[in-house]
Amino acid sequence: MIVRVARTVAAKDLRIEVRSRAALSAVLPFAATVLLALGFALGPDRLLLQQTAPGLLWLAALFASVELCHRSYLTESANGALEGLLLGPADKGAIYLGKATAAFLQLLALFAVTTGIVVVLFGLPMGPAPLLLALTAALGTAGLGAMGGLLGLLAVQGRTRQAALPVIVLPLVTPVVIAATRATVSLTQGQLDGVGGWLSLLAAFDLAFLAAGYLVFGHLLED
Amino acid sequence: MTVPEPAAATTARSPAGSAVHLTRVTRLFDGLAAITQVSIDVGAGESVWLRGSNGSGKSTLLRVIATAISPTYGGGTVLGHDLVRGRAAIRARTELVGHNTRLYDDLTASENLHFVCDLLGVDPGGIAPALERVGLTEVATVRAGNFSQGMRQRLVLARCLVRAPRLLLLDEPYAGLDPDARVVVDDLLAEARGAGRTVLIASHEAPPARLVHRTVVMDGGRLIGEDP
Repeated sequence: MIVRVARTVAAKDLRIEVRSRAALSAVLPFAATVLLALGFALGPDRLLLQQTAPGLLWLAALFASVELCHRSYLTESANGALEGLLLGPADKGAIYLGKATAAFLQLLALFAVTTGIVVVLFGLPMGPAPLLLALTAALGTAGLGAMGGLLGLLAVQGRTRQAALPVIVLPLVTPVVIAATRATVSLTQGQLDGVGGWLSLLAAFDLAFLAAGYLVFGHLLED
Repeated sequence: MTVPEPAAATTARSPAGSAVHLTRVTRLFDGLAAITQVSIDVGAGESVWLRGSNGSGKSTLLRVIATAISPTYGGGTVLGHDLVRGRAAIRARTELVGHNTRLYDDLTASENLHFVCDLLGVDPGGIAPALERVGLTEVATVRAGNFSQGMRQRLVLARCLVRAPRLLLLDEPYAGLDPDARVVVDDLLAEARGAGRTVLIASHEAPPARLVHRTVVMDGGRLIGEDP
């Protein structure tokens, strides 16, 4: 039942995004603008650009995840659909897993595009282990999606609404951004030592976020 | 805020065989009482019209029964399950048609219903007949965002037909409907009555008398009596 509900919610979210392109049309220009602005601010120093590119890439992904997850829940709240999720008998944790999965896949797609921008603008090398780089991208965006899929709900509920989202999300996902940035720096510079540790840390955070989200989503959804 | 202790009007009958049995339920929003000391008993298979003006507490009462919101004070049972501890069981058998359509504008009419079926594990075989009954077969593949208010309301009614809940809670079901669509609502009520389902209709417009067993009157968040 958990898999069926999660798959149904994720498929619904992705279908809506493909049709409306509401999140990506807002998030992608935002991420691209951030990268362009920072690129110009840093100047033409190729080495400096390459050294800072991984951090800028994950910073853009972080801000994009906040906006993307907020928009995902705006869709749920537009006609009160969130209440439908609450009043259905489906496992609320499974609904969360579906929302997190959809957020992860959208962030991964976004990350692929922004990586392309960074490679072109900043000359970021892919390094000797592109598969490990892809794994880093997957684990990092999974962490952002897992946390955003949970806390995006706060942006459409309660008194604080959207103001609460960055205040809560940013400190919580900082370890993910740091681990993903460190792993990306090491991989793009061809230094594979220590990458395993950062990837393990990312995986641990992903699992912790997913488990926490599964357990508390229903409580956040309730009156 | 202290809620006064009124001599609460009640429609309480015997809890035995009750689909809804609430005792002295109060719900506060920011300290203000939306409903106060409401006790009501609705028998299984009964159709009850909750009559009252805007702001009388009808919607809040339905939302409490649907477990969309919890009572601040008081409690009760719905379909034999405790209002708070048995929420999951109540939700599995109850449909609330409220002010929110709960539709996704970027999904088609058919996809909206498929989503509900997939989510709840309901047989999607009932979707096509339901759309036909509410007159939306021709626009089944049109996005709900392009629908008029009346068409959206019809789609919500189709969702009720697909789910076939044991307890149906209708909040202003005639609002925004043209005469043809009002017939759909009446058909739904007649079918529910025929199938022995319990129905509560909150409306300031009267449903056809043949479709309701009794009328309960609300005013100022309280049950003030019962019409014959």
